[in-house]
Amino acid sequence: MLLLDSLIAALAPTNLLLALGGVIAGTVVGALPGLTATMAVAVLVPFTFAMQPAPALVLLGAIYTGAIYGGAYSAVLLNTPGTPSAIATTFDGFPMAKRGDGDLAITLACLASVVGGLVGALSLLLFAPPLADFALAFGPIEYFWLAVLGLTLVAALSEGDSLKGLVGACAGLMLSMVGSAVIGGDIRYTMGSSILLGGIGVVPALIGLFCIPVLIDLVASRDEHLELDGKVAGFRLREALRIALADKVNLARSSVIGTIIGVLPGAGGSIAALVAYSEARRASKSRDSFGRGNPSGVIASESANNATVGGGFIPTLVLGIPGTPADAVVLGALLVQGVKTGPSLFNEQGSIVYTFIFGLLIATVLMLPVGLVLGRYAYRSIIAVPKAMLVPAIAFLTVIGSYAIQGNMDDVIVMFGTGLIGWLMSRFGFPPAPIVLGLILGPLAEQGFVQAWMIGSATGNLVGMFFFRPISLAIMAVAALTLLYPTWTRRRERQRLAGGGADAANTAPAASTAATVARVPDHGAAVVAALLAAVAAFALWYANAFSMFGSVFPRTIGAAMLLACFGVVVRSLRGSGKRSPGLPPHDLARSLLLVGAMALWIAVLDDAGMLLASCAGFVALALCADRERLTARRLVAFCAAGIVLVAAFALLFGRLLGVRLPAGSIMPALLS
Amino acid sequence: MQRFVRHSFRRTLAIIAAGTALASAAPALAQSLTYVIPFPAGGESDVTARIQEPVIRQLSGKDVVVQYKTGAGGATAWASLNKLPADGSTVMGINLPHIILQPIQQDVGYKTDDIVNVFIFQLTPDAIVVPADSPFKSLKDLIAAAKAKPGAITMSGSGTHTGPHLSAATFNSLTGVKTTYVPFNGTAPSVAAMMGKQVDAAMTFTTAAIQQGDKVRMLAVALDKRLASHPDVPTFKELGIDMVSGVYRGVAVPKATPEAKRKELSDLFAKVNQDSGYRKKMTDGGFVITDIGYDKVPAFMAQQKTSFEAAAREVGLIK
Repeated sequence: MLLLDSLIAALAPTNLLLALGGVIAGTVVGALPGLTATMAVAVLVPFTFAMQPAPALVLLGAIYTGAIYGGAYSAVLLNTPGTPSAIATTFDGFPMAKRGDGDLAITLACLASVVGGLVGALSLLLFAPPLADFALAFGPIEYFWLAVLGLTLVAALSEGDSLKGLVGACAGLMLSMVGSAVIGGDIRYTMGSSILLGGIGVVPALIGLFCIPVLIDLVASRDEHLELDGKVAGFRLREALRIALADKVNLARSSVIGTIIGVLPGAGGSIAALVAYSEARRASKSRDSFGRGNPSGVIASESANNATVGGGFIPTLVLGIPGTPADAVVLGALLVQGVKTGPSLFNEQGSIVYTFIFGLLIATVLMLPVGLVLGRYAYRSIIAVPKAMLVPAIAFLTVIGSYAIQGNMDDVIVMFGTGLIGWLMSRFGFPPAPIVLGLILGPLAEQGFVQAWMIGSATGNLVGMFFFRPISLAIMAVAALTLLYPTWTRRRERQRLAGGGADAANTAPAASTAATVARVPDHGAAVVAALLAAVAAFALWYANAFSMFGSVFPRTIGAAMLLACFGVVVRSLRGSGKRSPGLPPHDLARSLLLVGAMALWIAVLDDAGMLLASCAGFVALALCADRERLTARRLVAFCAAGIVLVAAFALLFGRLLGVRLPAGSIMPALLS
Repeated sequence: MQRFVRHSFRRTLAIIAAGTALASAAPALAQSLTYVIPFPAGGESDVTARIQEPVIRQLSGKDVVVQYKTGAGGATAWASLNKLPADGSTVMGINLPHIILQPIQQDVGYKTDDIVNVFIFQLTPDAIVVPADSPFKSLKDLIAAAKAKPGAITMSGSGTHTGPHLSAATFNSLTGVKTTYVPFNGTAPSVAAMMGKQVDAAMTFTTAAIQQGDKVRMLAVALDKRLASHPDVPTFKELGIDMVSGVYRGVAVPKATPEAKRKELSDLFAKVNQDSGYRKKMTDGGFVITDIGYDKVPAFMAQQKTSFEAAAREVGLIK
């Protein structure tokens, strides 16, 4: 009876409208890099205090689930995850968009998000108590092995050079240690800078590592942002449905993985999507097409991250322990509303909870039409915009988006800094994805490891703690399978071919054969690896000053990084291994001009104010990216577009989202 | 080009339209009080601010904008406090012993005396908490077990060099036993670890224990007298352990804020403390309300500084 009453309550017109409005607003906010799902929920929380608890929760749930989906837009179209949960969506989503299948990728993302969201929300409805118990059974060591499982993805994300991928992952892990350590309390690698005291933020680093290289390479090349080849944008719903249906095992598996990882308070959407992606790749017959625009990658990531919404609410509501950062905000809102979460909630305030769960289900279903329409709109605007406008527009989004995270310049500087390092590394064959993987999984791995170490030594059962707990064993088995299965199948394949009389060497990819023949030393890559080795050596030396628990991880990772860097130096000098593209030869000047203009833009942001600096920056970047003859008419168009876009976004961020944008001292000084 | 301008205009319109939907429910942002929380949403500092928020709005007519500036156990926010607008429009949550201990241990970008506290409104007492089905029925059981096997009893808590860390160390030194403190990234994960029996007990706060209802058992609370809501839970003092500790919370303003504005804000938070709805919500949640206004802050801080520094030195946190 309670369930039926709650369903009817959820279907009340106000609740339906709130669900619809929440999904729309969430999708838009989630699509903007820098504005995460957590922020979308946090911005909305104050407005919900004037509402009844159930509709307030419905609205918050709707905006949350919409934002997680919206993150796919910028992941697919700009190679920049709109929310951290969409990291794995970039791996195949952006290559799809590059070849003109952006509309298909977005429609697939929408379908996958709806399915994942439904699985998560239904689990919340049906299996909340047992899943909450599972969350509690997950201890530090399980989190450690989960992080290791996530790190096995490095091999897949290394773009053909696992050693360089390993260097990248170690660099990411080192970056995750910057700031004050939870265990040990040491202040690590801040170099005395207060900007770095709070650590390297995942969101600004994501924007920088993924988006800045895209921008720089965009001005360096003559190609358009996305290759359309005369294709027109459509929904491509039928095609997407066919692909999703054919991939139903992946869809189901990823949704379940998303739900389960969402239940774990220490993990979250990004880790869920990464693990689901890794599993999809391992189980796939065409493993090598992952990372090159395989629709299964998008399906895995997007179904998993939306499943974490429902999954994350399980510990939040059952235990009063937030499953994800966004849930923490919702939990605060609930406490203020006087709804007491925790063990008694489902009995004492069941009607509120069940109305909310049905509201979440409805919102998830509404995401289908909303997502399709908004998605087509986003895709069309990206392909309609010429490159000379797209470059400054994306650059502006990265600046204002990273500023909005905490309302200060620190994150903008971190974004731009990590972006430049990421670009340089990617030009020499160190892809950004492993760095991000290390940055995200670092805290989970380190804290899990050291906590398990402390508990294991205290109870005198260190070996049992690390290797003989049932859930750990299961995760370890999956991790081992992920790492070894590809090698094993490849070897069998080779044996089969060798048995057939074919030369084993013929089965090796053509590119590596060519490299073995040519053997040209890759000096650029060697120099970058040597620089990174120096960083690792410095980090190792610096770790001497840390407390015992604060130094375990820096030492281990620093040593691994030093070794891997050394390996890369040797291989690059010998000319074995995959050759990196190096700096763009023809258009280096144009790239450097863009970097300089953007650096100047960021440097004057505080003094000149967001409006003035960004309008000037917009025009400067448009000129960097423009390859046609500059006429007065074009210049006017650049200026006009810059002013309109900057003003519109300043309005959105400043007025509607309550971000304090820098007003600047020049403008007021000039006016007075 | 024209086509582009039209498209970008349409996109802009769409974004504005979507945003307006979000803002239509928003009250005017004309006169607002920015309330910066140095910890993630959902924590005790946040919950307190959220419960204060409607009362502040009602008393002052000001809209309250809660912002989060997280990192480094709050140090990121406190290091930035004096750079914020100093016109009485911005307050920041502060926690003791955090703002005393952090600057002593290392350079965290601010000094304790850089922070101008205007009102301390609450104490969250420490408590040792175990799962409901734990073999430790009383604190005596736990102490006996720790005596029998030094170091084998594990106790989770939030962070290193924090209130719980210090309290766990004080507990060890006062009882003469050795327990192993395991730091977690926040109160919620430390409580989850205790409930999942990853550790034997949690050194946490009465608030976190009360939220879990009958799934957990408080063995003792670090207060002068028992909690009104939990008359059956003894204090450490009753058990012969002289421990009255916890986290004090209040608000601070940027240094350049004029004296008059400081007093105004102190009066505002004093009035919030008198609100009956607020008092009920806070005490129900396990918080203890304190009334330490701007004029009483210097003496309070001096006393806290002495006692926390002594405790930290005694247990070896300060060399």
